[in-house]
Amino acid sequence: MKNQNSEAPAKGAAASATGAKNTRNTGPGRLLIAVYAVFAISATARAGYQILTKFSEAPLAYLLSAFAALVYVVATVSLAKPGSTWFKVSVAAVLVELVGVLVVGALSVFDSVQFPHETVWSLFGRGYGFIPLLLPILGLVWLYRRRPSLKA
Amino acid sequence: MDAYFYIILVVGLISTGTCLLAGILKKAPNDVTILSVAAVEVALLVYLVGSIVRVIAGEPIAGEAWEFWGYLATAMLLPPAAVYWSILERTRWSNFVLAAVGVTALVMAARMNQIWY
Repeated sequence: MKNQNSEAPAKGAAASATGAKNTRNTGPGRLLIAVYAVFAISATARAGYQILTKFSEAPLAYLLSAFAALVYVVATVSLAKPGSTWFKVSVAAVLVELVGVLVVGALSVFDSVQFPHETVWSLFGRGYGFIPLLLPILGLVWLYRRRPSLKA
Repeated sequence: MDAYFYIILVVGLISTGTCLLAGILKKAPNDVTILSVAAVEVALLVYLVGSIVRVIAGEPIAGEAWEFWGYLATAMLLPPAAVYWSILERTRWSNFVLAAVGVTALVMAARMNQIWY
């Protein structure tokens, strides 16, 4: 936190007066974006692979994979962009992600017949070290701390 | 798991540990953390050269070949991307970004091993 505060004036001077503070891509946000980017890439690659090679095996699961990939891409891009509109996009993407991982996670536990095939969100993201479950929570905390209405 | 995996396991974990420690100590990215990530890139390069040699020698890849090369290519992009980013913003948080490279490379190397055998 100390580092960030001492850096803020320099950044504010460099950026234009409009929304110099209205960003989420510094400090902890950078780590968050980096992890989201890794998930965006891996989820996109995996979904693309699943759909291209064995889509008919489990259309629902693989469409879900593709949807999850899209959510990660939107979250990565929106977190990296400044401004209130991108903030709202980030909140929406992260909320969708949270609902997705909870619903798909629960369904994969209770209805393993319908969801036998792996997606990023299956079993609350166990195949990915539960990071998919942790990520939206950290994302919401970060977005809350950097909400545009916050006067610094 | 073959020797390539274990090289990346050791180098990746050392890199992640070093960068995590530097981040926790509130240090900005420095030569040590950046070089540790560079070492991960070198380890991946060794994997790349070794794999090319093995394919030329006629060793078959059990899984999808393009999936293997896709993983390797993506993994090799991570260290330069993370270092570039850490130079853009020199705060302790960039060390955590650098720390993510080692474990990610490790996970990807494990997957690459699964595809190969």
